[in-house]
Amino acid sequence: MSDPIETDPEAGAPYVSRIDRRTALSWLGAAAASIGGVGAAPEQAAATPAGQVPVLQVPVPGGYGTDPNLKHPTIPWPRLFTPAQLQAVALLCDFILPASADAPSARAVGVPDFVDEWISAPYPEQVADRPVILGGLTWLEAEARRRHGANLTEIASADRAALFRALTLTPADPALAAPHAFFRRLRQLTIGGYYTTKPGFKDIGYIGNVAMKSYPGPSDEVKAVLERELKKLGL
Amino acid sequence: MPTGLTEPYDVVIVGSGAGGGMSAYSLTHAGLKVLMLEAGRHYDPVTETAMFNIPAEAPLRGTGTPDKPFGFYDATVDGGWQVPNEPYTVAEGSQFMWWRPRMLGGRTNHWGRISLRFGPLDFKPRSRDGLGYDWPITYDDLAPWYDKVERLIGVTGRAQGLENTPDSPEGCLMTPPPPRGYEHFVSRGFESMGIPVAAMHAAVLTQPLNGRAACFYATHCGRGCSIRANFQSTTVLLPPAMQTGNLEIRTNALVYQVDLDRTGKAKGVSYVDRVTGEHHSAAARTVVLAAGACESARILLNSKSSLFPNGMCNDHGVVGRYLMDSVGTSVSGQFPALENLPPTNDDGMGLEHVYVPWWGYGKQDRKELDFPRGYHIEFGGGRSMPSVSMGRYLDGGGELTVGDDLRAQARRMYGTVVGFAARGEMIPNEDCYCDIDPTVTDKWGIPVLRFHWKWSEHETRQAAHSVQTFLEVIDRLGGKPLPGYQTDGAKAISRGGEIIHEVGTVRMGGSAKDSVVNQYGRSWAVPNLFVTDGAVLASSPDKNPTLSILALSWRSSEHLAEMARRGEL
Repeated sequence: MSDPIETDPEAGAPYVSRIDRRTALSWLGAAAASIGGVGAAPEQAAATPAGQVPVLQVPVPGGYGTDPNLKHPTIPWPRLFTPAQLQAVALLCDFILPASADAPSARAVGVPDFVDEWISAPYPEQVADRPVILGGLTWLEAEARRRHGANLTEIASADRAALFRALTLTPADPALAAPHAFFRRLRQLTIGGYYTTKPGFKDIGYIGNVAMKSYPGPSDEVKAVLERELKKLGL
Repeated sequence: MPTGLTEPYDVVIVGSGAGGGMSAYSLTHAGLKVLMLEAGRHYDPVTETAMFNIPAEAPLRGTGTPDKPFGFYDATVDGGWQVPNEPYTVAEGSQFMWWRPRMLGGRTNHWGRISLRFGPLDFKPRSRDGLGYDWPITYDDLAPWYDKVERLIGVTGRAQGLENTPDSPEGCLMTPPPPRGYEHFVSRGFESMGIPVAAMHAAVLTQPLNGRAACFYATHCGRGCSIRANFQSTTVLLPPAMQTGNLEIRTNALVYQVDLDRTGKAKGVSYVDRVTGEHHSAAARTVVLAAGACESARILLNSKSSLFPNGMCNDHGVVGRYLMDSVGTSVSGQFPALENLPPTNDDGMGLEHVYVPWWGYGKQDRKELDFPRGYHIEFGGGRSMPSVSMGRYLDGGGELTVGDDLRAQARRMYGTVVGFAARGEMIPNEDCYCDIDPTVTDKWGIPVLRFHWKWSEHETRQAAHSVQTFLEVIDRLGGKPLPGYQTDGAKAISRGGEIIHEVGTVRMGGSAKDSVVNQYGRSWAVPNLFVTDGAVLASSPDKNPTLSILALSWRSSEHLAEMARRGEL
């Protein structure tokens, strides 16, 4: 996968995929070789005699297998987002984690591609997320047309922000429960996709993954804060 | 292939993990010609380990999947809970999970590196409280072998003088690293409850040893270690064994049977090549089984003959019986007191720097507890490398934050969650065992194991106690338990096998009547057949078993070599 790109793209410009050429080629090859069809549900249960616990079969068809190359991974499953869906997720990423004064946006570190990779994967957790995300995107498009008569990417940015903002609140209207669940999950994936990159590490304050001659333990400053907090707790 | 290594070998070893790797190390240094058969593929941690790679470089940000259940970078080849083409079954009403890799070095590549000695009471549990079975050896019998193992593989720790938690002699242990910030914080909570916290005994080098580099305190041990700073059979035992010129290793060799000659002695083993599907046999004067507790039992149970119609060494039906796993529970807590901590590097070793040894021996002696055996506590968390699941901690209640509010919330919450886990002793019982499934076979037609499992109240009461301990320490530290925990022990307890400490299926004892092997892992029924993996354990103390498997395997192997020298095999 490509290194995260630190600069933020121009606001409103179309999202440009961050996938490097090698990864894209391996996806293409997998799509060409795919027999079961795009997004076929994995075969989950092996045949087992009556009364016995069915077990998940490995390797999962369409997955990276049980012995993938860990240092130079490739992603074998084809991506499912349409170009419009990828653009919609990029806009949602801009809403959830836009660039800050110190850190790039979720879009700039390739989170839309990560979400596409995630919902396209053949594994049970991701397969379960697929209808949640795709359904939510379908709802958003329909809502943009219903309210504003245009596609999500084309409506005024203030209208779009209002549409997204409504999804951050627990809805009283049961009809909005599914869109809210969609937003909650997309936000989780955006957070997970973002903070697992180097710019995300920097923004959240993860300073590990560096070789050290010896482990120093917490600094005097950290120890002082801990002691202060322990004292407050009477410990 | 080294010269002089031809059939019949002096010894054939089945398996290359802690038990098999240590047997190979010991026997080749004693001058015996050894063939090692490993069911998995060749594996080289020096070239294959993804050191420093971050989640963004892995599919799905490294998250666990059925193909890689412990995450993409975990050092497990071919499965984990399921291995392709090699099923197992679970009897109706039971739950059991069986973790297997298919790689040289077995589970020592990814294991947790916690290296605790069993204590004196652990070898005589029946004498202590009338339950389970005493070992045919005492702590003093095994102590010199613990010393040797610690000096060979490198283990951290410090003498603490705690009951049934042996201190090592001077010079055995390496200086442990200081506690992390959150470990310092949580330790104070336990200490306020009168529960001592001890330095971890970790199979991680804090100073160079035998050409291996010291830990550089980054990149998790579960990935394996390309600089060989932690213990893996593939970096610590097999290379020096190969250097003796006395070891040949064949990989993808799935052993399914011990072959007997007409006099009832073992003459070698039969195996199938997992790649070609061809069947082979290997001849040797002595057979050592170390395929993992359940797989070793499977080989014996599948080794049927007119002499052993019920499976080899199994006239009494003990093989596969007394299967044990550690009792596991877990509760996570979120601590507001940690929300204002400045950034600090919590990477350290790839495991806990401190732990809580079982502290309740006196209470149990005084009958103040409603369960007989103890557990130790492992706790971890803090500012570990962010994972894709962190989004789940940031959507609790009310409005879902976005933008700068979300960034501030993430920074505030990051590193404030600590997970507590108990690892406790299970008492062997009649309901927990593995046998051969009457109908299911693997890809090569070899009958597979069927697991039977039922925790007793000894374990579920212990599990409930551990959850209450976690809730109390979380409360004392001003924290809140994260949802999802159970206070009912029967619901809080792990599934059988889930802690991956399965042992006991070919247990040792003082008599051929109720045990399969003697104190040296030598089978009572077949004089030149030894077992040197966790199958031989007569009990399963709360202390993680690997260090004891290494010590027992070394002791057994030196005994084997001595018998060979005397021409007794």
